Amino acid sequence: MKSLSLKNLAKTYFDAYKGEHVTAIRDVSLEVPAGEFVSIVGPSGCGKSTILNMVAGFIPHSGGDILVGGVPVKGPGPDRGVVFQSFALFPWKTVLDNVGFGPKMRGVPKARRDEIAREYLALAGLSHAADRYPNELSGGMQQRVGVVRALANEPDVLLMDEPFASVDAQTRMTLQDELSRIWEERRPTVVFITHDVPEAVFLANRVVVLSKGKVLAEVEVPISRPRVWDRLVADDEFKDLSNQVLALVRSA
Amino acid sequence: MERTSRISAALIFIAPLAVLVALWAIIVPVLEVRPQIFPSVAAVGKAGLESLIDGSLVRHVMASVSRVAIGTVLAVLVAVPLGILMGVSRGVSAFLTPLMRFFSVLAGIAWIPIATLWFGYGFGAIVFVIFNAVFFVVAYNTLLGVSTIPMTLRHAAASLGAGRRAMLTDVLLPGALPNIVTGVRTGLGFAWRGLIAAEMIATDVGLGYMLFVARDFYQTEVIVLGMIVIGTLWLLIDRLLLVPLERATIERWGLVST
Repeated sequence: MKSLSLKNLAKTYFDAYKGEHVTAIRDVSLEVPAGEFVSIVGPSGCGKSTILNMVAGFIPHSGGDILVGGVPVKGPGPDRGVVFQSFALFPWKTVLDNVGFGPKMRGVPKARRDEIAREYLALAGLSHAADRYPNELSGGMQQRVGVVRALANEPDVLLMDEPFASVDAQTRMTLQDELSRIWEERRPTVVFITHDVPEAVFLANRVVVLSKGKVLAEVEVPISRPRVWDRLVADDEFKDLSNQVLALVRSA
Repeated sequence: MERTSRISAALIFIAPLAVLVALWAIIVPVLEVRPQIFPSVAAVGKAGLESLIDGSLVRHVMASVSRVAIGTVLAVLVAVPLGILMGVSRGVSAFLTPLMRFFSVLAGIAWIPIATLWFGYGFGAIVFVIFNAVFFVVAYNTLLGVSTIPMTLRHAAASLGAGRRAMLTDVLLPGALPNIVTGVRTGLGFAWRGLIAAEMIATDVGLGYMLFVARDFYQTEVIVLGMIVIGTLWLLIDRLLLVPLERATIERWGLVST
């Protein structure tokens, strides 16, 4: 587990259609200490996914620094695990082999990486699905595999890009409960992108509100853990914080 | 359940062919068609039996099938890496795509004259024609397959630590495989047609040659036998080899055929 630090991060790109330079991220500085869960919320087009893609190394940044444990980011790497909105499971690999993919890339022998994969699948209650192919699973199950696959590679920082946006509301709450439980057990450093304010507050230690490529506000979430929806759904502190963040997002 | 439905599917497939043979068995004697115009069922059966006994049919089939197999394997071995290279490099793709378009129109029997000048009559010229028929289709389909792999899958692999080599073996190749299989199936169809044409011109053994020589002696029963063997062999290759292969990749992985 390591810290993530963004210093004066900026992203401009050339929009060939408009024929002009566009500023997606103006100036974002953010400290995520090791073992903290930070949610980034903001309206569509505020640049939250751009930040995540730059931290993941999928797109280059135009200015500032991205440091993981003090080391500058150069391209994608296994120190930063990513969970995608579209799940991005390998359709030609079984669930077991999807989860074992990271260890395989590290050169872990087959027997050992199967063991690792089974251990992590058990963590999310997925042991029975080990030999299935992704297309045989529901969306919720697929994303459980997506989360487990990222965790099984033991990244320093876990990046989650609207991971629960494409599953139904019921499943989403279950997944949020599970992610909360897993985070409490393992304490990974997490950056979680979402436009769902209650989700952001429910999961995070701190919520960052982004607007027009800049940090508008940071809101601490001191709600005690373990957090489960059964308790928080009627919790006044949770409601107040959610309303506070929602007001910020709407003003953004 | 699955077994019975397969058998009934096979029966449905065979029924029209059986009707055709039945019509043939009736029409030829009724209209007193001369054997020089079209053979009777019995004559073709006899020709088939004789050619099996003297080993000539097996010799022709083996010659044709081995040419197709070798030409196809060579073509796939060259086309798949090239297709992947085109799929990952915009420059290579931009440069080669017009050439691919041009040559895919030419692919096939248009190469026979120059192939015989380069390789002489026989094995080399025919394998070259097969190679051309398969190569362009497979290369193009591989390119298509690689370029339809969602970028997020490549991102996912990279963020799990995949280097260039693992990206190739674990993402690009399996991701493009359904398209590659489709390409091989299409290419083999072209190759099989090209093969028969090439064998009529450029060799002294093979199914195409068998047809062509029989014509000189008005042996219509050998010609029709050859045509039946050619069609049946293709159906067997397609149903028993290519279709199951396509099913194993596309359906298993839930990928939609393009």
